[in-house]
Amino acid sequence: MKFLIVVALIFSPGIAGAAESAKAAKLQFALNWKAEPEFGGFYAAKLSGYFQQRNLDIEITEGGAGTPVVQMVANSKVPFGIAAADEVVISQARGTDVVALFAVYQINPQGIMAHPERGFKSIGDVFNTPGRLAIQSGSPHALFLQNQFRGYKVTFVPYAGGVATFLTDPNYSQQCFVTSEPLIVRKKGKPAQSFLIADAGFKPYGTVVIARRQYLEKNQKQTRDLIDAVREGWIAYLRTPEPANNLMVKLNPAIDGDTMKEAAEVQKPFILPSDASPQELGKMSVERWKTLADQLSDIKLIKTKPAADKLFRIF
Amino acid sequence: MNFDLHPEQSKSGAAVLCEGISRAFTGAGLVLDHITFQIQPGEFVALLGPSGSGKSSLLRLTAGLDRADEGRLSIEAGQEAVSRGFVFQEPTLIPWRNVLRNTTLPLELQGWETDKAEARAEEELRRVRLVDFAARYPHELSGGMKMRTSVARALITRPNLLLLDEPFAALDEPTRHALQQQLREIWTALGMTVLFVTHSISEAVFLADRVIVLSQRPARILLDSAINLPPARTAALRTSLNYVQEMSRISAAVPIPEANA
Amino acid sequence: MNPNARMSSLLPPLLPLLVSMGVFELAVRSGWVPSYLIPAPSEVVRSLIDDRLELAMAGWTTLSSALVGLLLSFSAGTLFAIALSSSDLARRAFYPYAVFFQTVPIIAIAPLLVIWFGFGQPTVIASAAIVSVFPIIASTLLGLKSTEPALVDLFTLYSATTRQMLYMLKIPFALPQIFSGLRIASGLAVVGAIVGEFIGGGGLGSVVDSARTQQRIDRVFAAVLISALLGVVLVGAVNFVSALTLGSWHTSERKP
Repeated sequence: MKFLIVVALIFSPGIAGAAESAKAAKLQFALNWKAEPEFGGFYAAKLSGYFQQRNLDIEITEGGAGTPVVQMVANSKVPFGIAAADEVVISQARGTDVVALFAVYQINPQGIMAHPERGFKSIGDVFNTPGRLAIQSGSPHALFLQNQFRGYKVTFVPYAGGVATFLTDPNYSQQCFVTSEPLIVRKKGKPAQSFLIADAGFKPYGTVVIARRQYLEKNQKQTRDLIDAVREGWIAYLRTPEPANNLMVKLNPAIDGDTMKEAAEVQKPFILPSDASPQELGKMSVERWKTLADQLSDIKLIKTKPAADKLFRIF
Repeated sequence: MNFDLHPEQSKSGAAVLCEGISRAFTGAGLVLDHITFQIQPGEFVALLGPSGSGKSSLLRLTAGLDRADEGRLSIEAGQEAVSRGFVFQEPTLIPWRNVLRNTTLPLELQGWETDKAEARAEEELRRVRLVDFAARYPHELSGGMKMRTSVARALITRPNLLLLDEPFAALDEPTRHALQQQLREIWTALGMTVLFVTHSISEAVFLADRVIVLSQRPARILLDSAINLPPARTAALRTSLNYVQEMSRISAAVPIPEANA
Repeated sequence: MNPNARMSSLLPPLLPLLVSMGVFELAVRSGWVPSYLIPAPSEVVRSLIDDRLELAMAGWTTLSSALVGLLLSFSAGTLFAIALSSSDLARRAFYPYAVFFQTVPIIAIAPLLVIWFGFGQPTVIASAAIVSVFPIIASTLLGLKSTEPALVDLFTLYSATTRQMLYMLKIPFALPQIFSGLRIASGLAVVGAIVGEFIGGGGLGSVVDSARTQQRIDRVFAAVLISALLGVVLVGAVNFVSALTLGSWHTSERKP
C-alpha cells in the first residue's frame, strides 16, 4: 500500500504538469539585474494579468552582476531575457543569433554623475579635468567616451557599483543611470549632477527584450502575444506604478518605496518621449541600430558589422 | 654539609647533595620518590636503571633544567663557581655550524672572544682526537664523531660537574667501548665530578667508581655502592674475573623488568 | 644534463599539457564546447602574442605590487610570530586574530581598502599583504616551536639570553618552516594583488575586468596565464633564497 502511494506521489506532478501544459506554457523571462523601475512594466504586465489573458505563464527571474542573459537566451536556457542593445550587436557579430524585440528606453538613461561643486558643464569637462572617474572598464560606453575625448586628463578607476565612494571622495565621478544613482545620493543629503552619455553622441536603446531568432520564428504567435502584453504592462506602469513598485520593493529590499516611486517618475520621459503615442512604446528604428553598429565597429568592439535589420524585430 | 675530600682526587670537581628529591609529571605520575644521595668532588658516579625509571629526569634536575617538587638539591664547588657540562643522548649539534663552531658555542653564549674561544675549542677537540675534523659539518660525521664533538663542547667551559645522559647508547659496540675508555681518560686528566646515566650494567661498572641503582617508576634507590675495580680501566679489564663479578653483583640489584614492560 | 635525463624530467609534465591542449582545441573548434565557456588554446596563444606588450606591462605592475605586499606581510608576519612565540599567554590572546586574516573574504573588504588607501597601488599592495600574511605567521610560529628540545636545554644550561636563544637557535632552526610559509604566501600575494586590482585598478586585474566586460574570454585566459606565471616566478625566487640560505645542511635541500 505504502509503495503504491509513493509511486502515485512520484508520478502525480507529471500528470498535473501534463494537464497544465495544455493550459499555459511556463516561460522564463530573465532580467539582467534586480527588480527596479527599469523593469516596472514587466512586473505590471504580470500583476495586471496581461500575460495570463494571452495564455502565457511568465516567470520573471531577477539577475545580478554578471548574469549572462544573452548566453542563457542563446543556449535556449530561457526563451526571453533583458540585455543591453550593444550586447545584441556584439553577439550578432560573433555569430549568435539573438534579436531585440522591445526597447524600454528610447533615450538611454546611462550617464555620468559628478559633484556639482566642481562646476562641470558637460561630460567633456569631466574627462578633461584631473580627478577620478569610475566607469566599467571595457564597456561600450566607456570605450566610446574614451575614444570621443581622446587626450583625457581624468584618471579611470574601477567601477564597483553603489555610491559609497562618491559620497566620500569629492574628486570622484562615476557612471550611473540618471534615473537611479543621483536620486540615491540626494536622498543621502548630498547634491549630485548628472550628464547623459546620449548627449555625447552614444545613444543605444536601453534595456531591450531579446529572444533567439530560431525561437521566435517557431513561436511567432507566442512572441507577438508576449510583446503585446509587455507593451500593455508598460502603459499601465507609466500610468499607475504603485502595484508593481510595491511588489518590487519586496523583491529588492535594497531600494525603498520612496526611491522606487521617484525613479519611476523620473524615468518616464526616457521611456515615452512626451509627443509619442503609447502604441509606439518599445518600437525601434533601423537607423539607430545602424548607428550603434557603426559606433561599436569604430571603437573596435566588433570586427564584422552585422546588418542593422538583422538586429531587431518589430512586433 | 659534610664532604670527605679524597686527597688523590683533584679538587676541581663539584659536590652534589640530593636530599629527598621527588618529582612528578602530569600523565606520568610520580617519577622520583624521595631520592637521597651524595656525590663527592671528583667522583665518577653511574646512575643505573631501566628505561623510563626517571634517571634522565634526575639528571635534568641536577643540570638545573628542571625543578624538583620536593626535597633539596645542592651543588657546591668550594671557592669556584659551579659550572656544568651536559652531554645529551643525541649529539644535538647545530647543523649549520662546523665542528669547531659547535664546540665554541658555550663560550660564545658566555661572551668569549671568537679567537680565544676557538683556541680553547681546538684544545678540547685535540683531547677527543677530533681536531682534524674541525672544519667538517655534522652531516659529514659518523655517529661516534658527532658524540665526541658533543663531549668536547661539554668540556670547553672546564665544568666541575659533567653530566652525561646515555651518550653512547646509539653507537655500535666498538665505538662505544672506545669512547668509554676515552671518557675515563679525560676524567682522569681533568678530575671533575661525573654523573653518568645509563641502562647498561656493563657500561656502568666499566666506567664508574660508584653505581647508584634506581628502581622502576616511582624511582627509589635500590643500591648505592662503590665499584671494586682498579682506577685504570683498560680494554683488558672487560674480560677479567673482577669485572664480571662486579657486574654480577650489580645485576642482582637491578630490577627484572615486568613481563609486559 | 645528458639528453636522456633532460627528456625524463621534461616529458612527464609536458605530455599531459600537450594532450589536454589538443583535446580542448578540438572540442572548441568542433563546437562541442561553446567558446564563451572556454576559449580554444590557439586563441589564448594568439591573445598572448597580440597583447604581449600590454600583458607584460600589466604583469609587471601586478608583480611589483605582489612583491611589496609579500615583503610587508613577511616583515609583519615574522615579527608578530616571534612576539607570540615568546609568551604562551600572548599567543593564546592574539593568535585567533591572526586566523582572521586567513578567513576574511578579501573581495568583501577590498572596497573598504579603497576608502582607506585610495585607488591604485596602495590598495593593491594592502590587499596582497592581507591575503598572504597568515601562512607566514602560522609557519613561523610552527618553526619557532620546532626547535630541538635538547638544543633549547643546551642553551638554557649556559644561561643564554632570550636574544641569543632567538637569533642563534630558534630563528635559524625555523628557517625551513618559514620558507615553506613564504612559498605559500607568494602565490597568495599574487591572488591578493589581482583582487585588489579589481577594486583599486591597474595591472592584470584591470585587464581581466575589462576583458570580462567585453566577453573576451581568450584575453581573460591570457591574463590568468600570466598571473599564474607570476606566482611561479615568486615561488622560484623563494626557492632560490631558500637554497642559498639553508645550503646543504637541511635535509629538505639535499638531493636524494
